[in-house]
Amino acid sequence: MFKKKVTFKIFLLLMGSDILETLVHFLFKKSTLETSSGQVADLASWLVFLKTVFASPFLWAGLLTVVAVFVLWSMILSKIDLSVAVPIASFSYILVPLVSIIFLHEQISALRWMGVFFVLAGVILVSLSSKERTEQAK
Amino acid sequence: MKQDLLLVLSLIAFTSLCDTINQLFLKSTIDSLQFTPKLNIKKIFKFVFQLITKPRIWLGLSFSLISLSVWLVVLSKTDLNFAFSADSMHYIFIALASQFVLKEKMSAGRWLGTGLIVVGIVFVSLS
Repeated sequence: MFKKKVTFKIFLLLMGSDILETLVHFLFKKSTLETSSGQVADLASWLVFLKTVFASPFLWAGLLTVVAVFVLWSMILSKIDLSVAVPIASFSYILVPLVSIIFLHEQISALRWMGVFFVLAGVILVSLSSKERTEQAK
Repeated sequence: MKQDLLLVLSLIAFTSLCDTINQLFLKSTIDSLQFTPKLNIKKIFKFVFQLITKPRIWLGLSFSLISLSVWLVVLSKTDLNFAFSADSMHYIFIALASQFVLKEKMSAGRWLGTGLIVVGIVFVSLS
């Protein structure tokens, strides 16, 4: 089957899902900023917390974006294997920290960036190993 | 502080596990459809309609909902960039699930890559 070959079209779909995925996480984070984080210690306070967060328009915008990602992701998974698709859809590991710095004013230490690049290196290695196997199969 | 980190990491592990279960249901449902979509609005809608009529999708989505509820707590407790990087522990679950549940072939290089991701998560957590 063709389920391991990453074509340019599939690659574009994966990039699209990266950008939307980053947007989802940004919107979700925004929705939790509107309420004071407080102590979510038991089920009751958890439900109160969720009620506040679900009242935020950011959360619903995020959920709409999740639906878009879901449709895109469904198309991608029907074309390639899960273990190939997931690693390539990972440029959001760079996008999310950048968005965090620019729009959320979070600080990222050198050690944390190093961790991010280790994760990314792992992701690239996983992707390359799948490419090798596709070429061998030809 | 250390206890907080441990709590947040366990919560993230829990959401990763739920997400992996959701992905497995999604993958098995899509494989059962044997559909090759083209970029065509009509076909996409037909595909989505076929998907949402499968009970397995809703089972997967309920895991997703649990994951979201816990994830929001994580986000309220910590920075987005930390939460997101640490969430890459779902790679470990996905790799294990791909190998043992979906029976996909995992090469040595792919396992090494997954190992690097683990190292990355450790660095991110230490900072």
